[in-house]
Amino acid sequence: MSCNTSVTRVHVSPVGQAPRAPVHLLPCEIEHNGPAQVSQFFIATTKDRKYGTLTIEKTVSFRGRGLKGQELSCPQGYTGLVLKEINKPGSDQEDRTLKVSSVFDKLTYWNLETPPNSDDTIVMAMDWPELAEAIHVPVED
Amino acid sequence: MASMKKRAPREQNDSWVVIAADSVVDTHETDSEPAFVRLRNPSTDATCLYMLGAGDVQLYEVKAFEEDFHSWFVGQTVQRDGRLLFITPMDPLYLMLPYLNKAGKEGKFQPVDQIVMDEEFPACSRLLSCTHSLASLHHIAEEKEVGSLKFHRYSQEKTMSWLKKKVERTVVALRKKNISVGEGVKSTTYVRVKSEYQEEDYLRYAHGLISEYISEDLSKALLKHLQLPELTSPKETEPPSKKRKLSDKPVEAGDDYTKFNSVDFSRKPPKKMTAAQKTLAKADKTGMKTMSSFFSPKVKAEKK
Repeated sequence: MSCNTSVTRVHVSPVGQAPRAPVHLLPCEIEHNGPAQVSQFFIATTKDRKYGTLTIEKTVSFRGRGLKGQELSCPQGYTGLVLKEINKPGSDQEDRTLKVSSVFDKLTYWNLETPPNSDDTIVMAMDWPELAEAIHVPVED
Repeated sequence: MASMKKRAPREQNDSWVVIAADSVVDTHETDSEPAFVRLRNPSTDATCLYMLGAGDVQLYEVKAFEEDFHSWFVGQTVQRDGRLLFITPMDPLYLMLPYLNKAGKEGKFQPVDQIVMDEEFPACSRLLSCTHSLASLHHIAEEKEVGSLKFHRYSQEKTMSWLKKKVERTVVALRKKNISVGEGVKSTTYVRVKSEYQEEDYLRYAHGLISEYISEDLSKALLKHLQLPELTSPKETEPPSKKRKLSDKPVEAGDDYTKFNSVDFSRKPPKKMTAAQKTLAKADKTGMKTMSSFFSPKVKAEKK
């Protein structure tokens, strides 16, 4: 089990310089990793349904399907990071390195047809850090 | 699900979407950097990825939130892997506890750096560098000082009252966040059902969450300590709600980063694993454990 000795370092020092990138969680699996014209064909066609000045729902058509979405902020005290591996080693015995390729403070998630609501699992997931805090803050004496 | 189109196997990913505690990236005080390390999961004994912050001052838990059929757009790129990883501060005492517990069987006081060591997981001795580690050992062990040296011996009694405090705090947080702790799937409509739960529901739920971090024996002892009777046969309430259920994907061979604990947000009543499941879970050294945590202490055994 010597592979347990290798570690994966994260270069976090350039977080201040890392670009902000919009992140969207889509309700489908796309069998691709790599560049795509996201702004041109996706972001450019999203519409905000507003109530006064408040955006209550976003809509977009993706591959002929109507998606409904909303923005979610990262929980208080938390930052969104996209980590990317640099110089992938050949074996699992070697240390690996990740860098922060972009940062975000909110993400947009999209449902297929269903309007976004507080029972969406991703919305509930955002409760995890606060619950984890209760479980993990050291017990004082 | 049989009609589902076969998907191409996931190739190795080299990019991950993460929500991390700010302290992970605030490293200006030290020259070192945070790192993912492999450590023994205290509940399943399997290899899991955790993170040690810069200078090893803080331990973090890494959990994957995962739903079937999701992918990301990140800027102008597509990322097929639709998981969202959470990196949250973790109490290192949970990971040290199994080592103290084991050493305690010998019944003698020992220096802690001789207790918390593991040939299979060399990173575990770095847990002792975390800010609160040494100062909080007295919650789970008796201490003896001889000159300038300190010796420790596991104490079940202390451990139980420490774990009870953990459960109590968790109950407070569950109430505050209005998290649904009742049995079964509450609602498939769009409105969160806020019914009145009994104190026992909260206690059991919190016990389930804490049990994700302790051995099965300790989990049983804690249940007793909390004066909760063991549920002999879990009530079968849940209809299969595909909507709610997040799958725990099997670990893909060769991709180290899939060895996170994963998130399961399905609302299920607390349920103990069967002996067979437990065995399977232990056998699976690839280490993907469910974050059932959030919401139930069930651990699914993966089949390859």
